[in-house]
Amino acid sequence: MDRHFVSLLLVSAVGLAAPLLFAALGEVVSETAGVINIELEGMMLAGAFCGVWGAFESGNVAVGFLAAAAGGILVAGAHGVVCFVFRANQVVSGVVLNVLVLGLTTFGLAVVFESNLARQVSTLENLRIPGLASVPVVGRAFFDQDAGVYAAFLLVPVLWFVLNRTALGLALKAVGERPQAAESLGLRVNPMRWAALLACGALAGVGGAQLTLAGLGAFTQNVTAGRGFIALAAVVFGRWRPVGTMAAVLLFAVADALQIRAQALGIHIPYQFLVMLPYLVTILALAGLVRRMRPPAYLGVNYQRE
Amino acid sequence: MSAFRARSGIVWSLLVPLVSVALALATAGLLLVASGTDPITAFHSMWSAALGSSFAIGTTIVKTMPRLLPALGIGLALRAGLWNIGAEGQIYVGAIAATGVALFGPQLPFRGTTALALLAGGLAGAAWGAIPGVLRAARGISEVITSLMLVYVAVQLANYLVEGPWLVPNTTFPATEPVPPDSRLPIVWTGTLVHAGVVVSVLAVLAVWFVVARTSFGLRLAAVGGNDRAARVAGISVAATTIVAMAASGALAGLAGGVEVLGSRGQLIEGFSPGYGFEAIAIALLGRLNPLGIVAASLLFGALDAGGAGLQTAAQGVSSSIVPVTEGLAVVYVLVGLGVVELLSRRRRAKAALEEAHHLDVRPVGQVAP
Repeated sequence: MDRHFVSLLLVSAVGLAAPLLFAALGEVVSETAGVINIELEGMMLAGAFCGVWGAFESGNVAVGFLAAAAGGILVAGAHGVVCFVFRANQVVSGVVLNVLVLGLTTFGLAVVFESNLARQVSTLENLRIPGLASVPVVGRAFFDQDAGVYAAFLLVPVLWFVLNRTALGLALKAVGERPQAAESLGLRVNPMRWAALLACGALAGVGGAQLTLAGLGAFTQNVTAGRGFIALAAVVFGRWRPVGTMAAVLLFAVADALQIRAQALGIHIPYQFLVMLPYLVTILALAGLVRRMRPPAYLGVNYQRE
Repeated sequence: MSAFRARSGIVWSLLVPLVSVALALATAGLLLVASGTDPITAFHSMWSAALGSSFAIGTTIVKTMPRLLPALGIGLALRAGLWNIGAEGQIYVGAIAATGVALFGPQLPFRGTTALALLAGGLAGAAWGAIPGVLRAARGISEVITSLMLVYVAVQLANYLVEGPWLVPNTTFPATEPVPPDSRLPIVWTGTLVHAGVVVSVLAVLAVWFVVARTSFGLRLAAVGGNDRAARVAGISVAATTIVAMAASGALAGLAGGVEVLGSRGQLIEGFSPGYGFEAIAIALLGRLNPLGIVAASLLFGALDAGGAGLQTAAQGVSSSIVPVTEGLAVVYVLVGLGVVELLSRRRRAKAALEEAHHLDVRPVGQVAP
């Protein structure tokens, strides 16, 4: 593996990481507040669809991203209504919403674009940062990408700051760890959970759009193909923290990039085993073989005021 | 978690799913109208493809099996409060094991290979399901994420086999060689596609019903699902119950994979399950964890699937994706409906308690007698 190869591998890994990172950071916010989103996949898929739809109708990529956030928020809203208002189990709601969104986006594809392939829309252009982009090996990977990639990675320190250095972050953690105690301190548990959930929907939607609007320029049936589940895994592997989650996402993205390039390299590991990697390491990590980790205490448990 | 099983009476158990399905079909009709399709024509072609002839009914039955078996298992685990979200993966490992035995195992007389292959499928599914069970029992790790992650490991394992060592050359789509005809589940209803998997399915329904309703293991499941601390005090091993429940759940899903390969497909094909294991979660809930309810819900989903294929060919421009939309909506409505029932019953209880308080002339705390 020469330096040129590593550089190209990083370029593609960082690009592949961005959609996952948006969704995973959204899930960090939501799970910190105690809401689990198995429908993260559905949020991304809705975002991927609405993004292309919005960009197609308006001819503007930015409008596409806004539409994508709205699409993700819509799925999050459905999850919230089913779980917070009607008190259904969060896991069930998530699984069912995935089925529903897959159906709705496939149906929408046939209705809006009258085919099973969305028409091509223009995609985000790369913004090369002069000077830094010329740094050997890592320069192109981190400083010659599109705006979505920069936004995704800049979100990491922002989220770290919010969660660890602000009252809002503390409140979110309280709501996820000790809802009763949080309520007795005057925090409003369910409104905070709603806010965290909708923020997650918006971010996951944008992540889906990053997939279609920054890369492919079109929507195909089930275009996310399990990326929402990888993002879920990254949150667990990253121990519910922004920086750890970013590291997990990057690791998974490198595995993905390697898988794409493995054949060119003449590596004789079947690529399926590289695709498996994120899921396997997450299970091993959970099993405590890497490091012991603990999810928010009230993750997935609906809160009911007495 | 198991509260939603018992929180409402028998009337609601029937009414909520029925009303939800009707509402889901109505919503799907509206979506069809909005997309410029005549819903009457669409529903008519769905009806013909799902129930219009004996062949159509047979197709519905064939499409029911891969949903029914995992749904039975998911319902079983859920009685113990365990979420087997990974049935899809257990279906895949079951299919892999069954295919392996059918292709490379000994050729036994009297359909012995078929039985052996199904057994292998069930065992593989049980092993795959037991992993999250063991992790939960031994280390307290939620089975939700682990079983879900194992889905993708299983799918990639199947992909590896059908694209690699088991790939039959000169095919357009990654698949194994067809299994020998003697190893397949024979057709049991001539003129249709219904194979002997239907017998396996009926036996599975009876077995699950028996275990749940008539054995001490069924009671242990309910005890662990109801209150695991109380179960522990009563001398029940929560760890053992957890592992066995997850393994049994996985066995049923693995069996579904074997039945699908040996009955319907005749070979292992890449991506052969379009999410049966995920649909089965919805089915288990729609059927309220009751084996008979699960049979009814699986038949409904099987009919929708068979009907959807008819829709695709009959009505141009209509995507058969209206089928998953209908399925998803039906279950979302069930979740909402159960929530409404609970809110109503809580209000009723509160009212009754208030009336009783009046009757006993109990004044709220702080109220001073005149």
